[in-house]
Amino acid sequence: MNTRGQDALSMTEDRKLVSRALKGDRKAFEMIVRKYEQPLTSYLGRMTGEREAALDFAQEIFLKAYCSLASYRPDFKFSTWLFKIASNHLIDHWRKKKLPTVSIDQPFDDDEGPLMPQVADPGPSVARRFELAEIREKIERALASVPETLRELFVLRHVNEFSYEEIADIKGLPVGTVKNRVFQAKELLRKRMEGS
Amino acid sequence: MSCPRPENLYLYLEGELGPYDARKIEEHVDCCPACRDALAERRLLHEAFTTLPPFEVPAGFARSVMDSLPEPEVRKAGWLSPLVAAMTALAVGLLGFRIFTGQSVFDVLVAVNSFFGSVIAFATPLAAKTLKLGNVLLEVAGDLLTMGFAGLETFARLLGPGGIILVIGLGSLLSLLAFFGARRYLRQGEQS
Repeated sequence: MNTRGQDALSMTEDRKLVSRALKGDRKAFEMIVRKYEQPLTSYLGRMTGEREAALDFAQEIFLKAYCSLASYRPDFKFSTWLFKIASNHLIDHWRKKKLPTVSIDQPFDDDEGPLMPQVADPGPSVARRFELAEIREKIERALASVPETLRELFVLRHVNEFSYEEIADIKGLPVGTVKNRVFQAKELLRKRMEGS
Repeated sequence: MSCPRPENLYLYLEGELGPYDARKIEEHVDCCPACRDALAERRLLHEAFTTLPPFEVPAGFARSVMDSLPEPEVRKAGWLSPLVAAMTALAVGLLGFRIFTGQSVFDVLVAVNSFFGSVIAFATPLAAKTLKLGNVLLEVAGDLLTMGFAGLETFARLLGPGGIILVIGLGSLLSLLAFFGARRYLRQGEQS
């Protein structure tokens, strides 16, 4: 079955589970939790950098989702709706902790200058220096230093495998902006790995 | 073709470019060693990006989430709310009466009881008399109708078929005269 077919099946399944949960079937909501616990924790883990915090946040987000389940509109994907709650939860958390947030319109500067689209440089290949597993480790380490606005879009795209359109929906941003910011995150990661 | 933007190299690897743009990149990479290296590097990175391991979730996590959820609200029976509202209204009314008149609540209950008793004592004979009168009026109306039909029947028998036609003709003529007369009268009224 293709991805689109799997998506449609998953959407139908989610709608049925939500409908049952709204009628008071707690088992149906437990199935939703089991289905989304790992993608949600993977996203939160990369965003917070701490496993325990990610699990606590995931629990709070599932509670929020449960309490506002009646506001879910079945025309949309449940995963998109859930991750929108998660993203807003993180923003609230950062606001409370008064962590520096980066404006969505501000250009992201690196130590080596602003990250603008550039012509492919013929410098020494970073990728050749590492094996794939080693690269993943480097990415995980470098990811923590990427501004959260870029990191979030990168995680949604490559860890949670949302399409650019779905990310645009979750974050309320134009698709072009999402594509550009995911690219900026990747190039920033590449540069940080190159420097390490 | 000039060297593609690195952004497009990633989009190419993700399959996000259209067939025309993808073909252009492939053709360019074939003849540009720098871009070929750049694409190979981004391909390896892309592979690493898309295979980052998921976070492990403890086995009892879903159970602990479910335990933290509030119990669903038990919906109250439909008849309970109006009953509670009525009882509350009665209690508030009695309390108000007690405050404004200074009389005890039992006095109020006795007064309410006596009021309803007098209303029933007054209304019951009135309703019975009304029903009886209505019955008599219906009987009288029925008798009058029977007498009217009997009179018409006797009159028709006395006149015979020719007489009936004559009466109907005269009746129609009188009706027409009355109709046109009334119309003329009304027109004169409008003109004056």
